[in-house]
Amino acid sequence: MSEALSFEEARRELEQIVAKLEGGQAGLEDAVALWERGEELYRYCVGKLDVAEGKIEELGKLVEEARP
Amino acid sequence: MKVEPILYGDRKVYTVAAFNHGVASWITRLPSLWIEGEVTEFRRQDGWQSVFFTLKDPEDGACLPVSMPRGRFDGLRLDLVDGMTVHVFGRPELYEARGVFQLRALSIEPLGLGAILAGLERLKRKLAAEGLFAPQRKRPLPLLPQRIGLLTGNEAAAKRDFITAVQARFPAANVVVAQTYVQGPQAAAAIAAALAALAQEAGVEVIVLSRGGGSFEDLLPFSDERVVRAVATCPVPVVSAVGHEQDTPLCDHAADVRASTPTAAARLVVPDERELRDRLDNARAALARGTGATVERARRLLAADHERLARAPALLVERKRAALEALSGRLVALSPKATLARGYAIVRTDNGIARSAAGLAQGDRVDVELAEGGFGARIEETRP
Repeated sequence: MSEALSFEEARRELEQIVAKLEGGQAGLEDAVALWERGEELYRYCVGKLDVAEGKIEELGKLVEEARP
Repeated sequence: MKVEPILYGDRKVYTVAAFNHGVASWITRLPSLWIEGEVTEFRRQDGWQSVFFTLKDPEDGACLPVSMPRGRFDGLRLDLVDGMTVHVFGRPELYEARGVFQLRALSIEPLGLGAILAGLERLKRKLAAEGLFAPQRKRPLPLLPQRIGLLTGNEAAAKRDFITAVQARFPAANVVVAQTYVQGPQAAAAIAAALAALAQEAGVEVIVLSRGGGSFEDLLPFSDERVVRAVATCPVPVVSAVGHEQDTPLCDHAADVRASTPTAAARLVVPDERELRDRLDNARAALARGTGATVERARRLLAADHERLARAPALLVERKRAALEALSGRLVALSPKATLARGYAIVRTDNGIARSAAGLAQGDRVDVELAEGGFGARIEETRP
């Protein structure tokens, strides 16, 4: 996915595509293109969830500043 | 000392001491009164005659130097520290030696509960009138924030509860923790500064303001105007999880979402990973179904078209035949046969069909055609 899409944006687009396909609003060629796009969005979203592990960081600098 | 000018020709000129004295004695005519402000730069030393501090207006930073005789101050047994909001009763005066305007304090009172509550109510009304608490200002929280800012005091429980809940729901979450004073006179400024710093952190898309339960006074910094404004103007959405369910510090009203506990805040800022994956998988299945249905529908339409195409030639012949039959029906109606069938007859002579008696003569031979058959005849008589 070339554009820097946020997770929400990707998921919203995926759901719109699903709704369009389920509603039968798409023509055959559109449907195939939409399906490909939907699969791409799905893989993108799952990829975002597959990030190895989260991090807990401390913003140490602030603590120092806050203690006069 | 008398205030008398020195005369340089027409010009009256005053010495500094005379001028200061004149202004100082004029100022003494002003009444003593109560002034509310925040204590800053408080200075007291045992050797000094007086204690000094500056009263600051928390709203626009206007300052007023205050002094009080040390003995009188010590008699008040106040634990005065910077950041405290106090009422000072005093009279304005000019410190002549330095030409400095100041308030000579006669009494100092830290704000009592009633005054604090009244002040909070005023502040709440003011900020509400500015629209800081308006529902249309509330922003939706990001579904999957890149990084989550957690602003907390140094109490372990609130921080631990939040991080545990976040990791249980979404193990891949990134949390940036900023610890700061959340209590005491410096807390409000520290919280506002830490909030601004957290919002500047790259990728921080939501900030949770967390503080465990505490007394009414302990939670006061979260109702401080600076904190409330910092929350309202924070560039990313803020979740307020301050105190317990029954506490509503003013920052709760300015925050985009209010959570009753740090654990509840965690549920708001990260999605449940399993649920999210299920929903994504469902969307994918629906995607395949939807595409399949579209293809199937296209196939059905195509088959129907094909069938119509196959039937088309036979249909065409049939239609032509029907048209032909209609035409022949009209032809029959027009033919003389139908007229004959109603009892008319056609009389022909050698010159063709007879339409008039003129030209016919007795004894002429004619041929008569009927609906069924015909006969030959001779004319007996003619009439005009």
